Amino acid sequence: MTLAIIAQLAVSGALIGLVYALIAYGFQLTYATSQSINFGQGELVMVSAFFSLTLINLGLSYWLVVPLGLLFGAALGLFVERAGVRLSLEQKSEGWILLTIILGLFFFSVAENVWGRDDRPFPTPIGSDPFKVLGVDVTPVELSVAVGVFAVMGFIELFKRRTLLGKAVEAVSADRDAAELMGISATSTVMLSYALSGVVAALAGILVSPITTVGPTMASALILKAFSVAVVAGLESGFGVVLIGMFLGALESIASFSLGSGWREVPGLLLLILALAVRPTGVFGKAVIRKV
Amino acid sequence: MLVVDNLHAGYGLSEVLTGVTLTVKKGTVVALIGANGAGKTTTMRAISGMISPSQGKVLLDGAPVQSLAASRIARLGLAHSPEGRKIFGPLSVEDNLLLGAYRLLPHFFGFRAKAAPDLERIYGLFPRLKERRAQAAGTLSGGEQQMLAIGRALMARPKIMLLDEPSMGLAPVIVQEVFRTILRLKQEGMTMLLVEQFAKTALAVADYAYVMERGRIAVEGAPDELRKNARVLAAYLG
Amino acid sequence: MLKRLLLIRGAELSMFALLAAVPLGVKNPYVLGLLTLLAIYGVLLIGLDVSVGYLGQVNLAQAAFLGLGAYTAGICVTRLQFGMPASMLAAMAVTLVLGALLALPSLRLQGPQFALATLSFTALTATALNELEWLTGGAQGLSLTRPPMFGHLFAPRDFYWFCMLLLALVWVAMRNLLASQWGRAFEALRDSPIATDAMGIGTYRHKVAGFALGSALGGLAGALYAFNFQYLQPQTYVYELTVILLLGVVLGGRKSLWGAFVGAALVALLPNLLSNRTLFELISGVGFLVSIAAGVRGLMKKTLRPFQAIAPMVATGVLVFGGFLVKNTEDWRKAIFALMLFSVVVGLPEGLMGFASGFLSRLFRIPEAPLPAPSPLDEVLPARPAGKDAPILLELRDVKRYFGGVKAVDGLSMTVRQGHIHGLIGPNGSGKSTLVNVVSGLYTPTAGQILLRGQPLPQGSLFKTARAGVARTFQNLQLFTGLTALENVMAALQGVYRRSRSLPLVLIGLGRAEEKRAQADALALLEFVGLGSEARRPAKDLTYGAQRFLEIARAVARRPEVLILDEPAAGLSHPDLLRQMEIIKSVNQRGVTIVLIEHHMDVVSGLCDVVTVLDGGKVIAEGSPDEVKRHPKVIEAYLGEVEAGPAATPSPAAPATA
Repeated sequence: MTLAIIAQLAVSGALIGLVYALIAYGFQLTYATSQSINFGQGELVMVSAFFSLTLINLGLSYWLVVPLGLLFGAALGLFVERAGVRLSLEQKSEGWILLTIILGLFFFSVAENVWGRDDRPFPTPIGSDPFKVLGVDVTPVELSVAVGVFAVMGFIELFKRRTLLGKAVEAVSADRDAAELMGISATSTVMLSYALSGVVAALAGILVSPITTVGPTMASALILKAFSVAVVAGLESGFGVVLIGMFLGALESIASFSLGSGWREVPGLLLLILALAVRPTGVFGKAVIRKV
Repeated sequence: MLVVDNLHAGYGLSEVLTGVTLTVKKGTVVALIGANGAGKTTTMRAISGMISPSQGKVLLDGAPVQSLAASRIARLGLAHSPEGRKIFGPLSVEDNLLLGAYRLLPHFFGFRAKAAPDLERIYGLFPRLKERRAQAAGTLSGGEQQMLAIGRALMARPKIMLLDEPSMGLAPVIVQEVFRTILRLKQEGMTMLLVEQFAKTALAVADYAYVMERGRIAVEGAPDELRKNARVLAAYLG
Repeated sequence: MLKRLLLIRGAELSMFALLAAVPLGVKNPYVLGLLTLLAIYGVLLIGLDVSVGYLGQVNLAQAAFLGLGAYTAGICVTRLQFGMPASMLAAMAVTLVLGALLALPSLRLQGPQFALATLSFTALTATALNELEWLTGGAQGLSLTRPPMFGHLFAPRDFYWFCMLLLALVWVAMRNLLASQWGRAFEALRDSPIATDAMGIGTYRHKVAGFALGSALGGLAGALYAFNFQYLQPQTYVYELTVILLLGVVLGGRKSLWGAFVGAALVALLPNLLSNRTLFELISGVGFLVSIAAGVRGLMKKTLRPFQAIAPMVATGVLVFGGFLVKNTEDWRKAIFALMLFSVVVGLPEGLMGFASGFLSRLFRIPEAPLPAPSPLDEVLPARPAGKDAPILLELRDVKRYFGGVKAVDGLSMTVRQGHIHGLIGPNGSGKSTLVNVVSGLYTPTAGQILLRGQPLPQGSLFKTARAGVARTFQNLQLFTGLTALENVMAALQGVYRRSRSLPLVLIGLGRAEEKRAQADALALLEFVGLGSEARRPAKDLTYGAQRFLEIARAVARRPEVLILDEPAAGLSHPDLLRQMEIIKSVNQRGVTIVLIEHHMDVVSGLCDVVTVLDGGKVIAEGSPDEVKRHPKVIEAYLGEVEAGPAATPSPAAPATA
């Protein structure tokens, strides 16, 4: 294995890793406002991708499908919040873990029956002929992943920092009660975060599908890695998930080349267990102080 | 301005408030004093909607608000500066103040321009906050945090302000400064309900005061009357 | 007593007898196969219930332990020619160790992170089983033949009885466990992990041991699974199965052996229910009607939130009407399962058995087993002679604790003498609570030393500090709310349990003898604080005052050298306050040194020998209550003083403290 091959594997792996980072970022968005995450996020990615594929097959332009797909993702996110999360948050229970798993199972079954169990190609006007950057082959599709991920994350981070509503979201994650006293409705904020998380999931599906194809099984494959990224990086730092996501993507692409494709998942999972043992709050996470 | 009638509230099974009745007239400062655990903070929390009362009424400007969420009550113009200050630690001082005015400002763009006059007013009141406007609020000293909490509440241009233990954990010199500010606000005509551990300090700024004992109002009256009341004298003014 | 035995044990016995008798009447091998699977899933779900129910953690790793157990047994049989017992023991040993290894890091996490960690473990296991072809046969699968047991080759019917026997043994062992100190510890750590540590019970060790035990049961079920199917495939033990198992436990009802059993029956029978159209329509129809009836009733009586009432109706409605639209219900298996589960999780959060047991307990009033007579108080809480010279017991040397830039405790030294009630007062935020948290081990001090009898106390561990002889209560009550008053005290009891500490001894039922003694001792302490008649009442149903007394009884059960009382009078009514003072005094008279944090000056004056006043994280005064009250600094910082003179026209210049 030459250095050139390793570099090639690392770059294409890191670009896919950005998709994991994007899904993990979706966890961070909801965790910040409600300390909850959607365990069925993978199914959201998959169903949104299928929905977008259907629109494309209906003859709609790709550039029109993208915003429609994102809207669809937002709607699904809101549905998950209403059906799976809100009640548990009100009761301060952890029932949302089970309920979001159950909703994921439901989405999975619906997708399986509506769109079939086979993997299907996802056509895109963006080319897939590679060009060389510093001796490494990069395809425009892969590049579109990077552009899309950084664009949406940048946009959301900008929204959080530059608009008052964004600051309100941060206020809710800093102190929910105090935010309520400022007239900020915590429930609406949680809804907003779930809608955004849905948008992010849909975008992940639209970006990754041209590379990996669309199929029901993409849900669990993606979510496991996104979980790894989220736990290793911690549930606070957007910068952290990007870094860890790219690292993990590169690592697994190298592992699958040198050990066999079945071992693709292993580095991520080992990294995760290692991170749990050494730093349970994540590499970029904050330590918690117990209070009585 | 604010009428509380036979308010019952608590946490889980233990009912902390067993029928609190009090009134705050427009433009006055009312103090709520009493021993720790008497229910002062719980009263404040029940008024502002942080906990929902099990019984009784809260009228704000004549409208019942006891069943509304805290955010709805806040948007009606009741500002509550809670016990322990509860500033947004990771956010900057200025962001904290801007969020105080959440109910008045546009939520996306142009909020900074609209808030500018109010910000200047608060910075005039607390020059030290202006010096630290870009600093994370969590890194401020206790006294500065208390000023920020009051400033944040003022940003909402509230009809009435609830101040819970503004002196908590502060050095006496800082407490003096905080109370000087409260007096100044009073002179500007702000309506306030004040909970305070230091009964004497509270009585010095109040127009009227209620003494709480075990979840209900035990004694009420003008500060001068309370100072003469033997029972209050023995228990709180020793 | 007899009625109780008859009802509870009788129900269990008759169920097992019935299940054992089935193969005598029914010769259908298909039914036998299903029942065998039921027994195996029963063991598996009882194991899963330990973490999901008793530890309160969402565990997504049980399918992995099933797989690991199955493959361990399979490999032992094919490669090492082990017999059945040895293979089963090997399967349990491997899963026990792996379970402990997984639990050690991940049980420090709460909520979603723990679920994520276990989920990753499942994925990792599935990959390893698939890829380690030299060991597991990879995707080809692993075939084995069921080995003989002590020379006897099991026919399917014999194997079924064997599985049932094991299920019964596991059932009995779990019942022994739950009736012991371990069962109380599980309950306690869910209610208040902090108090569990502060009472010297140990949250973490019980969690790890419980999780490892549940994993080993998964391994046992895996071995049986391997012997039953005699063919193993790595794809079996993945995400989907783990979710279905978890939901089986929830559906059946958490924290209940019966619930796990009902869940196992559902998981085993579910595929068959769905293949039969009429049965499916019947079940979904009944579910729909029940959810409407229960929902409407709940809405009228306002016992349910609107969402809780309406969501199950919608879900079951979709099930009924979706059933007409769909050709093949098998294809929609997961969606159907999801809808059923959704309705149950939202509408019946306690699960089917949780609901049924609530219903049954109203139907049959089962009398509680009578309590033993209380032990003599002198045995439980031996009065220690209060030395006249009163040596130094607890010493703090220049203790500091900073939070970021906030100096909560800032270089504080003080000594507490044996037999004293030592008061600690100061304004809010003066560092009292932080100090108590540092001494009791919740926080690690930033700097400084804490000595008990001249020996340094362990730092930063509530559990170790508690074991060293420091007990505490909490300002905001940290009772084990799900336990009764008696059980709260029993959980903390020191010096009674020996065998009950060892998990294997408890499982085979040797902990029972110590229970009677523990009950008697705990009852003595309850009577000591005047709660003898409330012994059977759940702590959450006690009055607020009684909860405060109970917390003291629980702390005293530790037989502490130092007892720290954190605002024991907060929020008490006047009569309760007086009673509380009496209790504190009598605890002290039995030789327990007390550190008392309190706001009520009259409580402090009435009880304390010495008072230390804190402000800004430092000691500003120390002495007898009367001395302290007159101390100018104390008046300034704590008691507060205002300038004499008319306050009606205050000037902005100097309104407040002088």
